[in-house]
Amino acid sequence: MMAPEMQTTVPRNTASHGEIIIDDVVKIYDPDGAAVMAVDHCSLQIKAGEICMIVGPSGCGKTTLLNAIAGFHEITSGRITLDGKVLCSTEKPKAEPGSDRIVVFQNGALFPWKTNLDNVAFGPIMQGQLSAAEAKEKALDMMADAGLTGVEHNYPGEVSSGMRRRVEIVRALINNLSVLLLDEPYRALDSLTKSVMHEALLEIYYKNKVTIFFITHDLEEAIFLGHRVAIMTTRPCKPKKILEVDIPHPRDYSVLTSKRFRELMEETNEAVHEEALKAFSAGEKEG
Amino acid sequence: MLEILKKTMPFQVVSDGMLQKIAMLGRRTSYSTGALIYDVGDKADDIYIIVSGQIEHMLEPGAQARRPVRLLRGGDVFGWAALLEKHPHRLAKATCVEAADVICINADDLLRLLEADADAGDVVMSRFATMITQDYTVPDLIAQLRHIQRRQQHGDIRGMNLTLYRISSWLKSPRPYQMLIGFALFLGFWYCAVEVWKLPRFREMPGLTTVIREWLNPNPTYGLSIYTAEYYTHIWISVWRVTQAFFLATALGVPLGLFLGWSKKFKEYVFPVFETLRPIPILAWVPLAIVMFIATESAVIYLTFLASFFATALNTMLGVESIEESYIRAAYCLGAKRWQVFLHVIVPGALPFIFTGLQISVGVAWFSLVAAEMVSGQYGLGYVINTSYIMVRYPTIVIGMITLGLVGYATSMMVRVAGDFMMRWRTRELALGGQ
Repeated sequence: MMAPEMQTTVPRNTASHGEIIIDDVVKIYDPDGAAVMAVDHCSLQIKAGEICMIVGPSGCGKTTLLNAIAGFHEITSGRITLDGKVLCSTEKPKAEPGSDRIVVFQNGALFPWKTNLDNVAFGPIMQGQLSAAEAKEKALDMMADAGLTGVEHNYPGEVSSGMRRRVEIVRALINNLSVLLLDEPYRALDSLTKSVMHEALLEIYYKNKVTIFFITHDLEEAIFLGHRVAIMTTRPCKPKKILEVDIPHPRDYSVLTSKRFRELMEETNEAVHEEALKAFSAGEKEG
Repeated sequence: MLEILKKTMPFQVVSDGMLQKIAMLGRRTSYSTGALIYDVGDKADDIYIIVSGQIEHMLEPGAQARRPVRLLRGGDVFGWAALLEKHPHRLAKATCVEAADVICINADDLLRLLEADADAGDVVMSRFATMITQDYTVPDLIAQLRHIQRRQQHGDIRGMNLTLYRISSWLKSPRPYQMLIGFALFLGFWYCAVEVWKLPRFREMPGLTTVIREWLNPNPTYGLSIYTAEYYTHIWISVWRVTQAFFLATALGVPLGLFLGWSKKFKEYVFPVFETLRPIPILAWVPLAIVMFIATESAVIYLTFLASFFATALNTMLGVESIEESYIRAAYCLGAKRWQVFLHVIVPGALPFIFTGLQISVGVAWFSLVAAEMVSGQYGLGYVINTSYIMVRYPTIVIGMITLGLVGYATSMMVRVAGDFMMRWRTRELALGGQ
């Protein structure tokens, strides 16, 4: 379905900020007792403006990494910087959560007691950047732009789950953020809605200059969306293989059937499967 | 045809029954290579679904699409201009590039069908909206997409309207009649047990007719009926005491509960004390209350307040603890400060539990009130029951009991209505769920 004139390559969008450097990060839960190493000397560089996909089996420790960047959890040692500024390090183990790095949660975290519009306007109002009226106006604009017309005054519980995810992404993007952190956001969606959501996310990404740090266990999703795909080892978590996806952006769903896509899938499938097997047998031991 | 419909974007999630109805509207047509299907400005009646072949779809520049030209294949949908408001006309030129088989569906018929099942209809229309934005990249047209006429019940339900809606749907359901039958059986048993069968343990009890005759008597034998001013004084005093105690319990219990749930440190200090005092029965507090408060009135209110306070605080605390961590994290992510999180996440997030707590609180307030009034106090329904027992006025005891039940039920309903009003988001979700 790709029209010919859109095959122009947009390599990475031209964001000048949003570079994350994860440097030798270690995370051990419960260091005194039965220490569980969740992240093991993990180093990873996420370039400004790229879509970096983190792939690993469930429970491999990839969310721990996201929580460290977002500032929800401490790290044990190492260092994470955003555009050269230290977020957390061995000396200061917990980053401050901030509106330059916003998380879209696995199960969605739109406030059910606020209308979709009030949810989107929440960030700028809280930060004191815009007055309530200005924030709402900006929110209306951004929602219209993302095809969310007609649901502004509904509560999140009244719209479909796909719609909720889009509202949540718009709620993040309305803040002048550098990095969008997505934690398996489409896990709960059916595969049809998921395909629509993928294209919607790309659409939004092309319009906004952000870096995307996207966690998933779905390799197909990872290769379809990402500039680079980091395949993680399972507990402890560190990059096992980093795949450069050389399919030009903008992409749409026709990519899935392309030859290159299949090749990349084959190239990485084994690495992912190996980790999934490890995770499975580790799970059995612990259970 | 069913299979093809199922594969097209707007109809993917529709139930099979609905799909069948949609399929009935479909007409199959074929176009040969090069044929013009429609041109910009033509009247738009049908939408098209491609079965096979290829069709070039070129949007007119006025539509401001970002990708005006698209090549469509099997499973794609076009001709959606028919779904736009106000005498729809074609916005694009559709030409057949490779001999094509298509299904045409009349848009008016389709909308009529969707209106009949508004829930499915909404999904289909929002899918169309997504398609127009995503595939045809003309988000500006979404606003013109025709709206499905939702039936009244789903209209804009808010606050008080919801209460009225609930009442009217309740009257339409069999429930009020089941309720009446329940009451009839209960009263019938009372009447028969006491006055007809004169069962052993019921013989001494005041019968249904005796109580009603006394209750509705302008000159009551025992001095209390709906015609005596005294009856209303008792009700009024009890209601007033419960109101004071309830509001005091809410004013103190809700903040205490919020802080207990919000601050771990605060909870460690306070909660053990709280949990030690909470199980102490109200009657055990009576002597201390009388010593503490010289005036009997404040002692009664204190006793009534106590149980309500514990119920409210405990439920509020549980409410705060029930809030999903991700809401709090999301708020911090979006730049909220600690007090803003408290105000915008903790308080509204705990509201459902708070209102459950308040309903329990009104209930226990009445419960404790009667205990308190029986021990001390000079007016009130509890006092009526207790003195009537001493003075051997059995029908009056029952009048006091029934009045308590009715007034208690009414206050509990009022709390519920207030809750509906304050939690519009929640009741609207529930209303969409069918109730």
